[in-house]
Amino acid sequence: MANEYKVQVNHLTKRFGDLLVLDDISFNVKENEFLCIVGPTGCGKTTFLNSLSKLYDITAGEILINGEPVDLKRHNIAYIFQEYSNMPWLTIRQNVEFGLRIKKLPEAEIRERSDYFLDMVGLTKFQDYYPRQLSASMLQRAAIARAFAVKPEVLLMDEPYGQLDIELRFKLEDELIRLWREVGTTVIFITHNIEEAVYLSGRILVLTNKPTKIKAEIPNDLPRPRDIADPNFVALRNQVTELIKWW
Amino acid sequence: MKKKKLNITRAAVGALAILCFLCLWFWATREGTPLGRLMPNPAQVFLRLVETTHTKVGPLTIWGHMLNSLRRVLVGFCIASGSGILLGLAMGWNRTIEALLRPIFELLRPIPPLAWISLAIVWFGLGEGGKYFIIFVSGFSNVTINVYTGAKAVDPELIGAAKMLGCSDRRIFTSIVIPSSVPYIFTGLQIAISSSWAAVVAAEMVRSTNGIGWMITAGQGIGDMEQIMVGIIVIGVVGFLLSTFMRGVESKLCAWSRVQDS
Repeated sequence: MANEYKVQVNHLTKRFGDLLVLDDISFNVKENEFLCIVGPTGCGKTTFLNSLSKLYDITAGEILINGEPVDLKRHNIAYIFQEYSNMPWLTIRQNVEFGLRIKKLPEAEIRERSDYFLDMVGLTKFQDYYPRQLSASMLQRAAIARAFAVKPEVLLMDEPYGQLDIELRFKLEDELIRLWREVGTTVIFITHNIEEAVYLSGRILVLTNKPTKIKAEIPNDLPRPRDIADPNFVALRNQVTELIKWW
Repeated sequence: MKKKKLNITRAAVGALAILCFLCLWFWATREGTPLGRLMPNPAQVFLRLVETTHTKVGPLTIWGHMLNSLRRVLVGFCIASGSGILLGLAMGWNRTIEALLRPIFELLRPIPPLAWISLAIVWFGLGEGGKYFIIFVSGFSNVTINVYTGAKAVDPELIGAAKMLGCSDRRIFTSIVIPSSVPYIFTGLQIAISSSWAAVVAAEMVRSTNGIGWMITAGQGIGDMEQIMVGIIVIGVVGFLLSTFMRGVESKLCAWSRVQDS
């Protein structure tokens, strides 16, 4: 099997004791694809991403990147959490530089990339502030800058905008699309917000309730920039909503 | 600007409280009261304090006694801090070490420093060793328990984020666990320096010939209330200065955990 896929998930299964959370999940993600995964709250989306990123040991199955088993030291993966995972003892700039230092890039490159991404997310003015001094949306932008700065092959995002108000969410979603197009990376984005999924994704994976399986796979070819009031957008959103129905 | 004003108000209120206390002391020890016969008034104690700065009490002036006590406290405190930080981090980071050492530590923790005196003499003799040990004991568990709590309280999201970026375990320990424990380490050191200094009297009860603690014990022996009071006041003031100094160092090193809004 050639590496026509960036990420391959084969028969991923995860149990916590007797509790089967992920039940034999298989799917592939192409290079530079923006994949959104939606599902009812509590369906194990975070477990899914944590298994994918090897934060959890998986019970069975395999996850391949470029056709090889995931190795966090070799594969360049970044993860943006629900919470803003900035190190409180580092300034915003040092936070953005953190991953670059782990990867032992030359100092000039570190400087250049952090300058660039701080500017991209509009935090240049706040680079010497500590996380405690900034607002929620600024912190999430700092986390995004840190993730993009390592130019990840695969970027995992776990409801990164779940706690932001709607206006900021729209703004950061556009920012994310812009960064994704500019940097070119494979994104797996988890959300329970269907509109967000339809707005961002190139393809949507709908999960079932626990034990989690893949319920449906929906390609999303709506032209960008997208308009949430466009009839095609609404139709797709309704289609996904129909598939989930958690109320 | 506003903050400065607040600080001045706070200092003024503090000074006023001390003044009230001194007045109360004067009043309680005025001539003819039962307490007045037993206890000197603040003026007498102050004069005696001034006198001890140039006249020897036993072998040394008050400065000499203070330096000897400080040296003992600092030696005991440094050993307690170093080993407490190491043990706390090790127990917080490594489950095997935690399972192995935590029960022993929990058993030793509630034992008060005074209870160790006899053992300290048996183990370290009547010289300086026993005194260092008493002071060590009074600081060690405070440091250990705080550092251990800090190493346990590291945000798992931060560890996850670092892992994802390809951090090795060692790097996670040095770049995440240690810095996020720093505020806890300082809380431990802060409590430990105070309790170590407070233990100096106990430590110097182990046959010593100098030190502030000795001054108090010796004063007791000859029934010199003024000397005892001078010793008590010096202990209070030096203890206050030590903890103020530690707070200063902490606010420099942990600026990130204090900054709220700019």
